[in-house]
Amino acid sequence: MILEMSGIQKSFGGLEVLKDISLEVDSGEVVSVIGPSGSGKSTLLRCATFLETIDAGEIRYMGKPAAATGSQGKAVYVSHSELNEVKRYFGLVFQQFNLFPHFSVLRNIMDAPVFVQKRPKEEVHAEAMELLRKMNLENRADAYPCQLSGGQQQRVAIARALALKPSILFFDEPTSALDPELTGEVLKVIRQLAEEKMTMVVVTHEMPFARAVSNRVIFMDRGVIVEQGDPEEVFGNPKQERTVQFLRNYQR
Amino acid sequence: MKKHSSMRRTFAVLLIIGLVSAMFMALPVFAGSDGTEKSAQTIFGLEDLEGKIVGVQTGTTGDIYISDDAELKLKGVERYNTGFEAVQALSQNKIDAVVIDDQPAQAFVAQMNGLTILDTEYVKEDYAMAVQKGNTELLGKLNEAIAALQENGTLQTIVDYYIDHSGEGYSSPKGAEHPNGKLVMATNAEFPPYEYYDDNNEIVGIDADLAMAIGDYLGYEVEISDMKFDSIITSVATGKAQFGMAGLTVTEEREQSIDFTNPYYTGKQVVIVRKSAGAQRETIIDRFKRNFVQAGRWKMLLSGLGVTLVITLFSTLFGVLIGFVVAIIRSTHDKTGGLRILNIIAQVYTTVIRGTPTVVQLLIIYYVVFASVNIPKIIVAVIAFSMNSGAYISEIIRSGIMSIDEGQFEAGRSLGFNYAQTMRYFILPQALKNVIPALGNEFITLLKETSISGYIAINDMTKVGDVIRSRTYDAFMPLVTVALVYLLLVFIFARLWGVLEGRLRRNG
Ligand SMILES: Nc1ncnc2c1ncn2[C@@H]1O[C@H](COP(=O)(O)OP(=O)(O)O)[C@@H](O)[C@H]1O
Ligand SMILES: [Mg+2]
Repeated sequence: MILEMSGIQKSFGGLEVLKDISLEVDSGEVVSVIGPSGSGKSTLLRCATFLETIDAGEIRYMGKPAAATGSQGKAVYVSHSELNEVKRYFGLVFQQFNLFPHFSVLRNIMDAPVFVQKRPKEEVHAEAMELLRKMNLENRADAYPCQLSGGQQQRVAIARALALKPSILFFDEPTSALDPELTGEVLKVIRQLAEEKMTMVVVTHEMPFARAVSNRVIFMDRGVIVEQGDPEEVFGNPKQERTVQFLRNYQR
Repeated sequence: MKKHSSMRRTFAVLLIIGLVSAMFMALPVFAGSDGTEKSAQTIFGLEDLEGKIVGVQTGTTGDIYISDDAELKLKGVERYNTGFEAVQALSQNKIDAVVIDDQPAQAFVAQMNGLTILDTEYVKEDYAMAVQKGNTELLGKLNEAIAALQENGTLQTIVDYYIDHSGEGYSSPKGAEHPNGKLVMATNAEFPPYEYYDDNNEIVGIDADLAMAIGDYLGYEVEISDMKFDSIITSVATGKAQFGMAGLTVTEEREQSIDFTNPYYTGKQVVIVRKSAGAQRETIIDRFKRNFVQAGRWKMLLSGLGVTLVITLFSTLFGVLIGFVVAIIRSTHDKTGGLRILNIIAQVYTTVIRGTPTVVQLLIIYYVVFASVNIPKIIVAVIAFSMNSGAYISEIIRSGIMSIDEGQFEAGRSLGFNYAQTMRYFILPQALKNVIPALGNEFITLLKETSISGYIAINDMTKVGDVIRSRTYDAFMPLVTVALVYLLLVFIFARLWGVLEGRLRRNG
């Protein structure tokens, strides 16, 4: 297992956003997470990537514990250095790209491998160029983010995350901030990664994409996983009433 | 094309500054500032003062005499804090005459147009030293010393220092010896500028310094004994003191009990009035020369400019450093909840600095914090202004940090950078770029704010302008010049800063 999350609970103030969620992702799996807005999808990804701390539950990457429920029923995180170890296993792609506007495309991609992973510059540079080629952006290496379209920026963000060679990549609505005509180029890149057996968890509203690309679909609502399974099953023959309703709204 | 238009703009602004200054310079000419235009001289003697208003400096001999003088049949007496204010009021037609010491009167009339001193002095008093009757030996020595010190200019030096506030005054020559013993001088140290206690609680004044000079000349150590005024004569008569010196006027009555030396000083109170119009009119160029070329005063102005720039530049430098540290402490607390104690300190610091006047901060740092420490005043000023601007700059930088999207922090963290690295590589560079214009404004504010340095007796540009004003009795020329220099500095700086801003913006 690459990622094991179990019994995750998270509240903001009095609002329970994640209610006892468990999620396991195996190597090479592509998991789509769908669900209405406010159901806790982003919070789940943010907890998995330590941008939020969980209240209770357990998180492991590659079998290594990152957080576990302690004696008082509260989640306890491992030490700083152990957590840094675990952080190397995942990458995150944001809805709003969050590229560094004052750095060139190339620098955006190279900074973390060079400064955080302390890898040789030449090697990183070669890999970064290779990633850009894969993203079909090899001629934009020296451009600044503001000179790129949204679709191009998101592809740079994906390249930036991939440059750290994560074992699993999270996407939080990667195409939601894009004009409709630009979503295709980003989805195409993700599809390509799926074909290369990249392990991914994708929060998305692109139902046809989720159905075609993922091995598993998770439907979340009000902080719980309502239904999950094979995309053909969930989309074609949903078992739960809430899933049916949600999908019906999307078909229109 | 773009370059061309920006040059044209620079030229236009310079032109406007030039025109404004020319207008300012010309203004007093049109306004007939000295008030000599309308009135011809109407007062030629003391008898003409009847029904007039006379100005004096509060507490001077002139004040005392004129207030008791019923014979003049004055309409009123106006009291001013300084002789200069009285003379200025006269020159602006607010009063009809000024009664004042002869020495400063000469200086005022020499410097200001349209004023003259009446030939008949108002009062005249001879001041002399008292010695025990029959002590002809000492009397002879003192007379000799007085003559010698009058001859060699020492007396004038002392008078200049206390009456005109010019020159260095008298100090004992190096290695002055006093082989002949001690002379006790009886005086009453409540009579400035003749004898009074200075800030160091020492008795100083014309008489005190002259006595010291006489002692140095004759080889005596002089000990000043302060007593009641009416004890002086008795004290000398009984030999308790060897001589008395207290602005003593020679009177027959006093000569019954003691002997007087030759007068060492003649105190004269004279009357300044306006003289007829059409007298020589000072051209702008003469006026400029009188203010800045005479006595090399432009050098003072230049050194004042240097002081202003040094204080501003160093304060900005340290202010930015302080501002950075405080901003990072505060935003780190806001973002992560850490650094609680430091954050409280930083918050108190910015609140206090932003909530109190800069002048008060400067005074507190000078008179309270560094009260017993002897460090150069410029450093005190740099410390005060650095702390002051640090508080403002920290708020500027903090707002810059807060304006950066939260997603930038999250992107940094998701890539494995820790908080400090994220701050340093991604947040601060963007934050700084956003606040460049505000930082430029802060520099300009600070440049002008340093003009309060004069409060702790630093000769910055503003203070120098004011000093020149007090020397030349011309408020307009030095102050407007100082204003124009500030304006020019701000203008040049704003241009340079604009270029920097433009360059940063082009770099992404
Ligand atoms: N930092 C936060 N503070 C308070 N409430 C939050 C915070 N983040 C998310 N929430 C709330 O948690 C719920 C789930 O949000 P989110 O995970 O973003 O949902 P989704 O991504 O499925 O639309 C929402 O009601 C949202 O308002
Ligand atoms: Mg969301």
